[in-house]
Amino acid sequence: MKKSGTPGGGLALNVRKYWPLYVMVLPGLVYLIMFRYIPIFGSVIAFQDYSVFLGISGSPFVGLKNFIRLFNSFDFGTIFSNTVILGLIKTVLLFPVPVAMALMINEIRSSWIKKSVQTAVYIPHFLSWVIVGGLVFDILGVGGLFNNIRAAMGLGVMLPMQKESWFRPIFAFSSVWKESGWGTVVYLAALSGMDPSIYESASIDGASRAQRLTRITLPLLVPTILTMFLLNIGGFLDLGFEQVYNLQTPMTYNVSDIFDTYVYRAGILQAQYSYTTAVGLFQSVIGLVLVVTFNKLANKFTEDGGLW
Amino acid sequence: MKESRSDAAFSAVMTGIMIVFALIALIPLLNILSLSLSSKVAVEMNSVNLLPVGTTLDSWKFIAGNGDIWRSFAITLFSTAAGVVLAVILNALMAYPLSKTYFAPGKIIMMLVVGTMIFKAPIVPYFLTVRGYGLYNNVLVLIVPHILSAYNMAIMRTFFKQFPAEVEEAACIDGCGMFGTLMKIVLPSSKAVLATESLFYGLTIWNQFQHPMMFISKVELYPLQLKIRQLINAGGDLSSMVVRANVNYNETTLGAAAVVFAIIPIIAIYPWVQKYFAKGAMLGSVKG
Repeated sequence: MKKSGTPGGGLALNVRKYWPLYVMVLPGLVYLIMFRYIPIFGSVIAFQDYSVFLGISGSPFVGLKNFIRLFNSFDFGTIFSNTVILGLIKTVLLFPVPVAMALMINEIRSSWIKKSVQTAVYIPHFLSWVIVGGLVFDILGVGGLFNNIRAAMGLGVMLPMQKESWFRPIFAFSSVWKESGWGTVVYLAALSGMDPSIYESASIDGASRAQRLTRITLPLLVPTILTMFLLNIGGFLDLGFEQVYNLQTPMTYNVSDIFDTYVYRAGILQAQYSYTTAVGLFQSVIGLVLVVTFNKLANKFTEDGGLW
Repeated sequence: MKESRSDAAFSAVMTGIMIVFALIALIPLLNILSLSLSSKVAVEMNSVNLLPVGTTLDSWKFIAGNGDIWRSFAITLFSTAAGVVLAVILNALMAYPLSKTYFAPGKIIMMLVVGTMIFKAPIVPYFLTVRGYGLYNNVLVLIVPHILSAYNMAIMRTFFKQFPAEVEEAACIDGCGMFGTLMKIVLPSSKAVLATESLFYGLTIWNQFQHPMMFISKVELYPLQLKIRQLINAGGDLSSMVVRANVNYNETTLGAAAVVFAIIPIIAIYPWVQKYFAKGAMLGSVKG
């Protein structure tokens, strides 16, 4: 089979020669248009006073009215700052946890302990946020481990799930519990690909294990760390509806409500379609800027680091 | 070479810390298991921690005898199985042409794929569009929206790119065509990536919560996660039954048993999927 591309014969020739490839790609292409692109074009209702009965073509155009309402709304500042704070907790504050865990796992010499530890810390990743939310509520509820420990220390019953000041720590801890163990996979894969002869020569030169960790292993991991960091932070508005929704209670809405949960309540449940599309569009545009910026940085600072 | 004492101590400390992390990962699971196996009295006296107190199978029997939870389980099992099969087919069909440099529109189509990664449609127009396709209160909404992710497709494409061209060409000389090459030569040699993709799509569909929340309002169509959330939310349909009967469970133990019910399938399949984790760590770069 000749590998000549398009030049010369043009597209018609390419289609004639490779028509089966065109047939193969078609279902996926139609799918992406139906489920990813048509909804994007549906965002025009953010500039309309959309009514389900009139449809997109019949609903009146209102310009930026929905955006003005958003920026002037009482909730906007709260939701925006909650989204940013929780996003930063997840992508910046907690970022080093899986790196540190991977480095520590790498130092375990007994292979069965290493394997058992890995098996244990990966498990929570496979549980849904409904399950994890259920576990959190049980542990922090009346008669849960948390209150039983308090009781043993002579303290009274306390319900953290209903306290604003506890929401962010609970969010952070549940993120670590569910995903940090799984987050080590990528770093351990990078470590296993490293040349063992570097370690051997270092230990002949008298480097201790601790020195090898900080002077050899960690620097070798830097490209992977940087790539992961930039990609994570680029997507930090995608906090995940499911985690917050399954951890929040009406008592903590002030600190727990993010764009996704707000849009769900006001948009899907209360059917304020145009207004919440404006909210979502605002979020998508910021997300776009972040992803593109940090992908560019990843390409600049790491070899082959960006997504595209 | 013999290890110095400080090296041994260093390693021991790291091992110790990681054992603590492993225990932290497991303790909540042990706790919920114990709650589900404990008696009503023990739970009401707040005496259950890591081990069951007044061990009884009553909560488990109640949950296992609940037809609704089994229906939800069947819905989730069916959508996961069907979704994985469809996803693998759709991804392979798209990734294969896109892995070929001689496929002329490949670049443009890849740009469309990347576009879905960087600009996500707001949730409300997405909801209106998908509802418009007739997927509201339709079991297919648990499957169809999840069977093609740009990220996973890119992983498969990277894998196909590394497939030796000579092998494919030799196959084509024997006259099997491009479909034949994909089906008979490429896919059978791609079991690792197919397993990884199945794992990713399967997990997404099994654990999904947001889609059913938005699109499923009929209780008879609830998938497992929605059912579990309904059961663990206090004041659900369980409590009324508990109050009138003289039984050895309460809302807490039943909620715990429901959670355990949902965890068991995951733990059961875990040893089989574990070996594909490292493959899954590959970054889905869409370059090249």
